[in-house]
Amino acid sequence: MSEEDVKIVGFCCNWCCYGGADTAGTARMQYPPNVRILRVMCSGRINPSMVLKAFKEGADGVFVGGCHMGDCHYDAGNYKWNRRAKLVEELLPEFGIERERFRFEWISASEGEKFQETMKEFADTIKSIGPLKRSTPQISTQAKFTAKI
Amino acid sequence: MEPQFLLAKAKDEELAKKGECGGAVSALFKYLLDQQLVDGVLTLTRGEDVYDGIPTLVENSEEIVETCGSLHCAPTMFGDLISKHLNDIRLAVSVKPCDAMAIKELEKRHQINPDAIYKIGLNCGGTVMPITARKMIEMFYDVDPAEVVAEEIDKGKFIIELADGTHKSVEIDELEEKGFGRRNNCQRCELKIPRNADLACGNWGAEPGWTFIEVVTEKGKTLVENARKNGYIDVKTPSEKAIAIREKIENVMIKLARKFQDKYLEEDYPAPENWDEYWNRCIKCYACRDVCPICFCKECDLEKDFYTDEDEIAPDPLTFQGVRLSHMCFSCVNCGQCEDVCPMEIPLARIFHRMQKKYRDDTGFIAGVSEELPPLYSPEKE
Repeated sequence: MSEEDVKIVGFCCNWCCYGGADTAGTARMQYPPNVRILRVMCSGRINPSMVLKAFKEGADGVFVGGCHMGDCHYDAGNYKWNRRAKLVEELLPEFGIERERFRFEWISASEGEKFQETMKEFADTIKSIGPLKRSTPQISTQAKFTAKI
Repeated sequence: MEPQFLLAKAKDEELAKKGECGGAVSALFKYLLDQQLVDGVLTLTRGEDVYDGIPTLVENSEEIVETCGSLHCAPTMFGDLISKHLNDIRLAVSVKPCDAMAIKELEKRHQINPDAIYKIGLNCGGTVMPITARKMIEMFYDVDPAEVVAEEIDKGKFIIELADGTHKSVEIDELEEKGFGRRNNCQRCELKIPRNADLACGNWGAEPGWTFIEVVTEKGKTLVENARKNGYIDVKTPSEKAIAIREKIENVMIKLARKFQDKYLEEDYPAPENWDEYWNRCIKCYACRDVCPICFCKECDLEKDFYTDEDEIAPDPLTFQGVRLSHMCFSCVNCGQCEDVCPMEIPLARIFHRMQKKYRDDTGFIAGVSEELPPLYSPEKE
């Protein structure tokens, strides 16, 4: 695997960030193909464990996108996620995962450009730190992740 | 309510003689049982020797006298015993600060009914692992551990008493410098006076033969007043000097604890490579989770297929301890049991305590002390 070929898992909320990705797509704004988008109904649906699981399965970076504060389709989901995200930021370094490998943003459905910019920036960051090297997990998990895709 | 300070001792002569510091705590338990204000008292009784403490439910007030005395070398926890087995009775329990913290967290999570429980707090400078205690008594005191009939921690010394009545003591600082002494989590613990219980009792600042009591809650206030009116305890007001001495002792202990926090959680904190080595030892016995007073879920995420791999020997730390940390590290009360029970000697309490400290710095939430649930549980838009 080359240094350029990093894997990013992007959890996007259905109502805002996923719409933003869609806007970017329909407007043909290019963003790095390293990101694999997973649609969730709300950023409040995401647990820290899901981020941990993504890293375990071989992601080099994890992105989470939700609605702007006050815009949550379910009223307070992104506030809840915001509190969890801060815990994730504290937790990852304890396992030797750089804080920069995890990023969350608020992107609305109309902000295709912001989505594009964020993805570019994040992919550049991950490329510059390189693929995640973890000593504990068996090499097989890396192989399995490739096989699943 | 405003904290209120008292000195108390048991009126019953036997309790006053056998109990610590005048047996006020035992007398309060006796009062609660005699008046049928509680159905049982949960406390520690001595097993085969001083290294053996057995949590015991006393339902007969005659038996209270059997439970007198402290056991520093038998660390146990009452929190989950109550939530799992004693939730259907009215209970009084003697709690060290970490017990009180665990109970408080469980109360907030509706696992213990706060109205059905009297928490009589005992000041605590720390506990010693039974194995460590035996080893250090052999090494530093030159005594066969089996010959020790009683132990006490006082004025920075760990004191043992032998059958012939002789006392031997060694400075705790000296013991801890050589890697013995109190459990690491106790060394780091900042809560020495359990102000999260109904009463906080201890000998700091007390005259000989009396117990110093800080009344924390209305419930505790009523209890002490009624026990006095019914002739179970004698009460008097401590001098300004006694209050100052107690405060001074507490501050010294807290300062020392902060020093140990810096040592264990920052300066000597294991590097990621060391943690990788620790995590590789894990045999996934779930003992840390089972013993954790905060982990009360009936259905645990750690057992979901989603997080496990069949070919894993040591579980991936991210989806084992990582998931556990993400579920409860912010509520960790630093009781140290996870570390105590780990058969592979992984220093778990360190990572949990470190995370709770970070969370406290970020949000102001102190596990086991703050009245409300951790902010992570909040449904609010804030």
